[in-house]
Amino acid sequence: MQAQSAARANNFARKRLIFSSIIIFVIIPIVMIVGVTMFNDRKYNLISMIIVLLACVPFFISFERRKPQPREILTIAVMSAISVAGRAAFIWIPAFKPVTAITAITGFAFGAEAGFLTGATSAIASNIFFGQGPWTPFQMFTWGILGYIAGLLGQKGWMKSKIALIVFGTVAGVLYSFCMDIWTVISYDGLFSWKRYLIAISTAIPFTIVYAVSNVIFLLILAKPIGEKLERIKVKYGMLNN
Amino acid sequence: MKAFEMYHPIVLFAYFASVIGLSMFYMHPVYLIITCTAAITLSLLLNRKSFLSGLKFFVPMFLIAAIINPLISHNGEIILFYIDYNAITLEAIVYGFAMSIMICSVIFWFGCYNAVMTSDKFLYLFSKLSPALALVISLTLRLVPRFKYQITVIAHAQKTIGMDISAGSPWQRGKSGIRILSILITWALENAIETADSMKARGYGLKNRSTFSLFIFEKRDGFMLGIILTLLFTNILGSYFGVTTYYFYPTFTELTVTPISIGLYISYASLLIIPIVIEIQEAIKWRSLKYNM
Repeated sequence: MQAQSAARANNFARKRLIFSSIIIFVIIPIVMIVGVTMFNDRKYNLISMIIVLLACVPFFISFERRKPQPREILTIAVMSAISVAGRAAFIWIPAFKPVTAITAITGFAFGAEAGFLTGATSAIASNIFFGQGPWTPFQMFTWGILGYIAGLLGQKGWMKSKIALIVFGTVAGVLYSFCMDIWTVISYDGLFSWKRYLIAISTAIPFTIVYAVSNVIFLLILAKPIGEKLERIKVKYGMLNN
Repeated sequence: MKAFEMYHPIVLFAYFASVIGLSMFYMHPVYLIITCTAAITLSLLLNRKSFLSGLKFFVPMFLIAAIINPLISHNGEIILFYIDYNAITLEAIVYGFAMSIMICSVIFWFGCYNAVMTSDKFLYLFSKLSPALALVISLTLRLVPRFKYQITVIAHAQKTIGMDISAGSPWQRGKSGIRILSILITWALENAIETADSMKARGYGLKNRSTFSLFIFEKRDGFMLGIILTLLFTNILGSYFGVTTYYFYPTFTELTVTPISIGLYISYASLLIIPIVIEIQEAIKWRSLKYNM
């Protein structure tokens, strides 16, 4: 009986994983292509904001439809609050943010979806403190997707070693910077050009380095202790393991 | 001077969504002048302090963004001079400035948005779309000050057993600091479970549970929403028929002055100045009430 229900839960989780992966790797690119061709290659700024927001919608819908339990809601809120407070604590060093690291740690422990939600919530909530702007959807999506990837990697059990954490932190920092630079380029004249994108990336190199370094530092310091605490909560209360 | 803020959140959101959306879309010089003037006036009315302190950051950004464009883009017919065999054109310079005006206006609009759409209004609207996620966000916002408070409680308790962050060698201090953070996170997670169980015990997620909100959709909100949507629709229609398109390259489009274009300019301007009109109206009313007392 128990084995049966566990198998069903496992099956459900796998289905959800496949479903979300399809959304991310198939539907979003299609939406982008359609958006670009329909609007004749113009006004990327507004369209990209809408697309990025739309990209977050499937996650929110699946979270909403699942009727999440209070325990799950509270855990995501706590992790987001830790990353918001961490961002506030390090606000005096530009680009030095623990948000990616905390999001990733949540992803490692609780899976891809929780990772995405923590990242997206951290972006909205921290920008309520630091000011919303056209960058909010981009941060939501970028942090969310980093948490999602972290969740996928964590479920494979690949994120136990220090080297894996260093590689993940560096790649995540570079990805974050690249994603935010897309916004920088588009915000400038509503158009996207590779030439400008390369210029933006090269001028942002110091920031990229700080992003990557801060990710690695926070991951190395925090991944083990916080990961253990999350595991403990998971075992103690038997949660988020469906 | 906060009359505009008293409108229903949906009205405020509709205003900012349409204004920011349209501002990002228009590169027509007349529209840019309208956008910029309205954005600055509203910023001065709504969040004068942070607007003025933000200026020292935005003015250099404005100039840099305007200067970069002619260095990258060599399109245009009116060539002013050459740098390293690259033509610097008047079109590119003007386009750079136009771009900067647009970006700065959007940032100013967001400044006003942040002043008007406080977190309670945002969450009220968001909870209509996605109740669970809105709950996550509002819990997050609540937990941040809670952590701040709890951290002092933990620090005091640790002090009594000799783990003091304000005394000892840097190594010792760092160690106590990390210990406090570790305790905080453990506490936060345990506390979260307790809160969650309490929520569940009180019937979270059950059917037939009502919610309380401070915001009531009044007649004037409906009226204002109607005006905003009508003006938005008018402008979108105008853009659809190409009245608002303007090209900087290869050279400047001639400005056309037709009854239709003037009508569109006026409709755009009236959309943007809605909050300014409301504020002024309210100020006049208030003053006349004071005189009559």
